[in-house]
Amino acid sequence: MAGLVRRHGMWVAAFAVMLVLPWIFQTGFAITMLNQIGVLIVFSLAYNMLLGQGGMLSFGHALYFGIAGYFTAHFLNGVGEDWLPYFPVTLLPIFGGLIGLFFGIGIGFVSTRRAGTVFAMISLGFAEMATALTLILVVFFNGEEGIQTDRMVGPEPLGITFGPDIHVYYLISFWCLVATAAMYVLTRTPFGRMSNAVRDNPERVEFVGYSTHRIRWLAFALSSFFAGLAGALHALNFEHVGFETIGLEQSGLALFMVWIGGARNFVGPILGAILITYLNSNLSDITDAWYLYLGILFMVIVMFTQGGLSGLVFMHEPIWKTDYRLFGRMMAPYALGIGSTIIAAIGVIGMFEMIYFLSTRVTEETIAVLYWMEVDAASALPWIACAAITAPGVAACRRTYPPMANSYNEAIAAVKGRMAP
Amino acid sequence: MNIKAFLAGLTLAIVGGLASMPAATADSIRVGVIEPLSGRVAAVGRDALNSFQFAAELVNSRGGVLGGKKIEVIGLDNAMKAEKTTEQLKKAVDMGLSYIIQGVGSNHALNIIKFVGKHNKRNPGKEILFLNHSAVTTAFTNELCSFWHFRFDANVDMKVAALVTQINRDPSIKKLYMLNQNYAYGKSFQAAARRLLAKRAPQVKVVGDELIVPFGKVQDFTPFIAKIKASGADTILTGNWGADMIRFVKGAVGSGLDAKFYTIYGGLTSSVGGYGTDGKKVNLKQVTEMHQNHPRLPKELVDYSAGYMAKYKDTFYADRQRWLILMLAAAIDKAGTADPIPVARALEGMSFPGPMGAVQMRASDHQMQMPLVVSTLTDKAPDPIFYKGKNFGVAFKTDGVAERKDTSLSTTCKMKRPN
Amino acid sequence: MEVLVFSIFNGLLYGMLLFMLASGLTLIFSLMGVLNFAHASFFMLGAYFAYQISGFIGFWPGLVFAPLIVGVIGAAVERYGLRPVHKFGHVAELLFTFGLAFVIEEVVQMIWGKVPVPYDIPETMNVAAFTWRGLDYSAYRLFMLGASVAIFLALFVFIAKTRTGLIIQAALTHPNIVSSLGHDVGKIFMWTFGFGCALAGVAGVIGGNVLGTEPSMAITLGPIVFVVIVIGGLGSLWGALIAALFIGIMDNLSISYDLSLYPVLALFGVEREVEGIMQDLVNLTTAGLAPVLPYLFLVLMLILRPRGLFGTRDV
Repeated sequence: MAGLVRRHGMWVAAFAVMLVLPWIFQTGFAITMLNQIGVLIVFSLAYNMLLGQGGMLSFGHALYFGIAGYFTAHFLNGVGEDWLPYFPVTLLPIFGGLIGLFFGIGIGFVSTRRAGTVFAMISLGFAEMATALTLILVVFFNGEEGIQTDRMVGPEPLGITFGPDIHVYYLISFWCLVATAAMYVLTRTPFGRMSNAVRDNPERVEFVGYSTHRIRWLAFALSSFFAGLAGALHALNFEHVGFETIGLEQSGLALFMVWIGGARNFVGPILGAILITYLNSNLSDITDAWYLYLGILFMVIVMFTQGGLSGLVFMHEPIWKTDYRLFGRMMAPYALGIGSTIIAAIGVIGMFEMIYFLSTRVTEETIAVLYWMEVDAASALPWIACAAITAPGVAACRRTYPPMANSYNEAIAAVKGRMAP
Repeated sequence: MNIKAFLAGLTLAIVGGLASMPAATADSIRVGVIEPLSGRVAAVGRDALNSFQFAAELVNSRGGVLGGKKIEVIGLDNAMKAEKTTEQLKKAVDMGLSYIIQGVGSNHALNIIKFVGKHNKRNPGKEILFLNHSAVTTAFTNELCSFWHFRFDANVDMKVAALVTQINRDPSIKKLYMLNQNYAYGKSFQAAARRLLAKRAPQVKVVGDELIVPFGKVQDFTPFIAKIKASGADTILTGNWGADMIRFVKGAVGSGLDAKFYTIYGGLTSSVGGYGTDGKKVNLKQVTEMHQNHPRLPKELVDYSAGYMAKYKDTFYADRQRWLILMLAAAIDKAGTADPIPVARALEGMSFPGPMGAVQMRASDHQMQMPLVVSTLTDKAPDPIFYKGKNFGVAFKTDGVAERKDTSLSTTCKMKRPN
Repeated sequence: MEVLVFSIFNGLLYGMLLFMLASGLTLIFSLMGVLNFAHASFFMLGAYFAYQISGFIGFWPGLVFAPLIVGVIGAAVERYGLRPVHKFGHVAELLFTFGLAFVIEEVVQMIWGKVPVPYDIPETMNVAAFTWRGLDYSAYRLFMLGASVAIFLALFVFIAKTRTGLIIQAALTHPNIVSSLGHDVGKIFMWTFGFGCALAGVAGVIGGNVLGTEPSMAITLGPIVFVVIVIGGLGSLWGALIAALFIGIMDNLSISYDLSLYPVLALFGVEREVEGIMQDLVNLTTAGLAPVLPYLFLVLMLILRPRGLFGTRDV
């Protein structure tokens, strides 16, 4: 019971934070970023209903996000131009969700008969078809220019016009919270559990009398509903839907968010959406190599962990819950391991930055700004310096990782020891 | 437990909001350039940014504007994505910028036009002007025209008008084949070409008129080239650009198709680089406001190009980017203030000595009126194209100039002006 | 009739190029069960290496060395990247190669820049071998055709008839037995992957100068290669050949016989200059749809027959 209260307390806390955030950051840029984070939290959670919970890797889930965005934009324009009856803007995300659901039911039926590679390839096929169709069906999609819209339609109760971004912020926050809660509840239902079972052992699920196809289909359709809801929010946020919202790149973005944040627990996609949107908005102004770092981060996570960043955090949950003092003995090895990783990364990033600088520079200028210092990228010195940081950093990583893993294993062993009667 | 991580994430977002708080300086006039500075098309955006910075340096070296204020050009990266364009617009508003320059990608330009329209309506006194240097969709100065938008480039219809004018001058052209990309730009090219060919060059027979799926989706152009060959066309009129242009040219040269290519964007530096040695074999024409081998270019422009070459090791080719900055500076001086509305009024009707003759910003639709030059890619031009210090060994040679009366077209713009 | 034969011939040329690209992928898949998303990226690397090498010492050395380098890189990727991921299952492998494709594109941009590079057809082969219906067919295109046929034959013989090929096939289905017979299965997988990547590299060297060498070439060609091997049947060399030819020929036919939906719509009384959503349908032609058709077939094939035309097992 106490646990239940605490969990509800968390939702209330999240709600409070959402209310307060825009009072802290009032710049238009920050609000836009927060809005985008809200939209992408919903989208990546929807994506994770497939990947993390259902075991279906999709390269085309942005299709439902984007198509719902297009329908929402047309709907808004219809209301604005009076050939459609009035519909409250506040409820438009439900409309978007239904569009997503509609397409999800249709396409889901044919694509969820199998999971794994077949499913991934079908999703890729649909994604490529849809991308091409956005350019061919010009009246509906309007090619690369996409559909522009105006969210200020209809009556304005309480002065809520949805003109200023802050109004949209609260709209998105509200729907983000509702959708997150709904998806969380779904994971706790028998359906959510069956979805996990289909992911882990489809043969056995068939054996006990369930249809794996039906469960996947249902998961797919529900996921498409939430993707569509996110798409409608996207359309409201930017008042524009473009062909890039439908394509492989947008699906890949969700995949990156989910996998980097962690597909194996519920908060992973939220963490991923926040982290990557934030970095995407801010880091890309600082370094050209940002996409390279994103790709490398993704590959490292695929290679070394199955739970993403949140998995790394939750790995320590039993220790925390048993006795936080067990962390005491882990401090030193962790600090050493993380410290040497940072040192190695500084050296490697320095070299990447210089290569990028030399290959994209526009003048004969060879003075690059690296770590707030001016260095001559054409001379040997900064390269030697970077190598001199990288080499010992990598060597230190090799030395410090085993003790780090050991200290973790010991702590877990201690936890198990205490749990044993 | 799960909310803990969530809160940690929100804290991150908080830091983000703080980190993006801009600092303002008072004694300069800041101009934001929203272009792709990262991602696949970053080269195009970076070249444009250089060009504006170089022009601003010229203005500043002559003493700036309003008796000593400098023009500061700030690059804002949109990574060629619609969302990032909006983000950067918000950032520009946060920074208090009054002037936004953009041109790569008509979809982004349209975004900016819509954004600026809404912003200026909702925030009187904090208006923003959009100075468009390359987005060519004709509608921007027709039905979508806006007081806040100025186009310094010729639009698609004007460029097609110049091409058709030149086609009409060549009596050897009898049969013409049109191949365009199936999206907004390609279709407006197609529509303008159909209309203007019928009116200005009725003797030319259009033997083919085709749309292809754009953006590099067509890998193999052989079947199209076979159709062109079968139609007996001696001339191709195409709006293709990027991979669609490069593969088209490579395919045509590879199959020995001996037709003239009349293009808008066949001469983009990146495309000429992509043709390789096929660039020497293809008979390709482009339409631009200038090219460096044109005889009798104004002395000022020749010096400017030489300075640009010395600094960036690139051939200077987009003169519209130079006159955009110089005209903005002149308008600020003429208005006596950097406030956007008086500056906009000063820009209306302003003339500038362009490379082929005077150019003028038409007040009725904010479309620059200009002569355009049609030129042919050849390895016999005196001054070859350089890009990033690399000599392409080819360059353009003038075929003919379409005067302002040839390229000037009527507008449907009904502009709403602020009081 | 002549148009038909002519289109089929042009489709054959294009299809064989697709086959050359797909052969390495189908080899890797049939032997290792790994669907390599980054395959087209190795194709791109082959083109860029060939461009670099041919700038120094000519096309022919490039044809030898570029695939070798690509193959070594591929083997290293398998050994140090893919193998640790293998224990997490096929989805993780697919994710790994997806990330790899992303990283390779960024690295290519980092080294060679974002604009296309001028990688040219060797001048000696850029002469017309014959002319048909007014189109020149250069010696180089015939060379491409010959090279892809040679690759097909060599692969066929290698896998089905040689001892190494048999060991490799056995290693996929019965890795434990093969390793207890004294073969190093890990090494077999590593070199198979490297060899498959090298084949993509060969395709890059030969096709890069025809299609244009630029950083986005991998992402535009990658999905098409999947279509080829999925339609053909994963792991089937014959299937890949037939599917590649099918796509090449279909592409050419749909452009040559530019059929429109309009006559059908006209039966229902639809006007030529109709407004609104019908306008898109009136304007639909097979030429405009040509790039979409392969994906339509991909989806249909996976729904109706997931093992593809000649596949022996499901994807």
